[in-house]
Amino acid sequence: MKLAAQYARASMLVTVIVLLIAGCIYYFAISYIADQQFDRDLTEEFGEMNEFIQQHQRFPKPFEFDSYEAKFERIEQFIPPRFVDTTIKATSARAIISTVRLNGINYRMTVVESKEATQNLMQLIFAITLGLTVVLLIALFLTNRILLNGLWQPFYHLLNRLNTFSLTGKTGQDQQLIRIDEFQQLQTVIHVMEKRAAAEYETLKSFTENASHEMMTPIAVITSKLDNLIQDETLTETHLLQLQDIYNASGKLSRLGQSLLLLVKIDHQLIKDIAPIKLDQLLNEKLGQFAEIISEKYITVSMQLHPVNITVSPYLADILLNNLLGNAIRHNYHYGSITVHLNERSLIIANTGERNTLDSAKIFERFQKSLESEGTGLGLTIARNICNGYGWTLNYSFETPCHVFTITF
Amino acid sequence: MKLLFIEDEPVLLDSIRNYFSEDGNICETATNLLTAREKISRYEYDCIILDIGLPDGNGLEVLQYIKEIDKDEGVLIVSGRNSLDDRLSGLNLGADDYIVKPFHLAELKARIMAVYRRRAFKGNNLLQYDSISINLDSMEVKVADHQVMLTRKEYDMLVYFIANKGKVVTRNAIADHLWHDEVDLAESFDFIYTHIKNLRKKMFDHCGKDYFKTVYGIGYKFS
Repeated sequence: MKLAAQYARASMLVTVIVLLIAGCIYYFAISYIADQQFDRDLTEEFGEMNEFIQQHQRFPKPFEFDSYEAKFERIEQFIPPRFVDTTIKATSARAIISTVRLNGINYRMTVVESKEATQNLMQLIFAITLGLTVVLLIALFLTNRILLNGLWQPFYHLLNRLNTFSLTGKTGQDQQLIRIDEFQQLQTVIHVMEKRAAAEYETLKSFTENASHEMMTPIAVITSKLDNLIQDETLTETHLLQLQDIYNASGKLSRLGQSLLLLVKIDHQLIKDIAPIKLDQLLNEKLGQFAEIISEKYITVSMQLHPVNITVSPYLADILLNNLLGNAIRHNYHYGSITVHLNERSLIIANTGERNTLDSAKIFERFQKSLESEGTGLGLTIARNICNGYGWTLNYSFETPCHVFTITF
Repeated sequence: MKLLFIEDEPVLLDSIRNYFSEDGNICETATNLLTAREKISRYEYDCIILDIGLPDGNGLEVLQYIKEIDKDEGVLIVSGRNSLDDRLSGLNLGADDYIVKPFHLAELKARIMAVYRRRAFKGNNLLQYDSISINLDSMEVKVADHQVMLTRKEYDMLVYFIANKGKVVTRNAIADHLWHDEVDLAESFDFIYTHIKNLRKKMFDHCGKDYFKTVYGIGYKFS
């Protein structure tokens, strides 16, 4: 629920409750005051009538006290005066019941006064209160609607700016004038934060790229020196075998460096290019690329691919499939099999292979690899981090005789 | 070919010059932006090899400079940064190709040859070596005027070897060229062995010549 709506709801509820309570208080207070007034009137009237009766030794005629109605009934014993609510001609009224003595006989005298005038007053007060309530509610509603929305406009503007904030994009170009201090502060803070985030992003990016450059140049030197060295025809076979080892090591060093830098880039989301990708087509292409080694190892590939479209970095998608399919082939045996299942919910790549000595909980950790593996030990970490970056999960399980990797989108 | 290498690492520059100047190429070098600009404005080159991490600025400025002075040199970008942004901006600014450090000199040479050929022989892209002739557009290979059917990998390998003729090319370089890092080294060495064996046989059948010399433990030499 929106803040304004929540606030409007609360304020209206409070208003209605307060007005209801006020109405009740009004009603009881006025009733009380009116009753007091009636009782005084009735007492006075009773006194006058009593006086009249004692003077004239008869009951008064109804017309002699026109606004009051009096009734006399014979009773045995004396009753103390009391006031009661009653009705006359369907309107509520107030009455005093008391005893008068006439010619030695006790009479119960009831004097009734209509409350009609007061009732009208009460109705008027009720109408005014109701009217006020309605007017107040409408006023509140409109104020909330117009004023609050207006007041919160800068907030929504800032929220929108945060929502669309992109590290690679331009920041803080639209310094909108905000009159409210709190929002102005918020804007300043957001602005500073955006600038800092963008600066840190740039620093990190140039750091990884510079680190890459600095690391790769010495390896390039080693490789190029080797490339020249092996042209020497006087080298013996022992020399060449040693050179081959240096080649392998420097190749591995370069792959390791590239992989580590890639991991840093993925973890810090420095790879931002995204494009729509047909995952089923990409899988087919990838398997085509591996066709040579697949046939060399006599591996059977069975695929069940539903068309799936995703929007990711083509570069990362390529690496992800390369790593997973590459592993499925690399850790397979001759005449083994690979099964690939793809649907909207998941991608499952299963391959036959030797039972893994690796702990399945640790398989995605850096530098966890089997002894015979030539890889960098980073392939699965990279794959998992790519998945995490897109909010997918990558799981591993061993279901004899298959290693199963499942990406859940 | 007349080549200009723009690279700030003198040791690397030294090996490159060493590798390239043996078969009659003229190799000029520049170690910073200033020298590079001066040389480009003064001389004509067949291909410029440009490292974009230079001490006095971004090498991409050289690309802009080439455009500004209306030159049409082939440019191969060399970068230590395997960065998508660099690759894209480099290619957008008119570079012909992009190679990431570290690289094998054989790979660099093959790339330079490709850039050079694309530019020098527009339309008639025929690669000739001894009795071998390859049409690089239609990918037809003829040995002693006989058409030879090669697989894709064999074809790639042959073009690669011709670009590096007379040089010992390592199996690591060939593996990188053909499979990048999709295949384990040990497995790719087996593939290379098989491909070379087949290629050797196909060529030998048509001209009776064995172009491949095995260099024990490390690679092959094509001559």
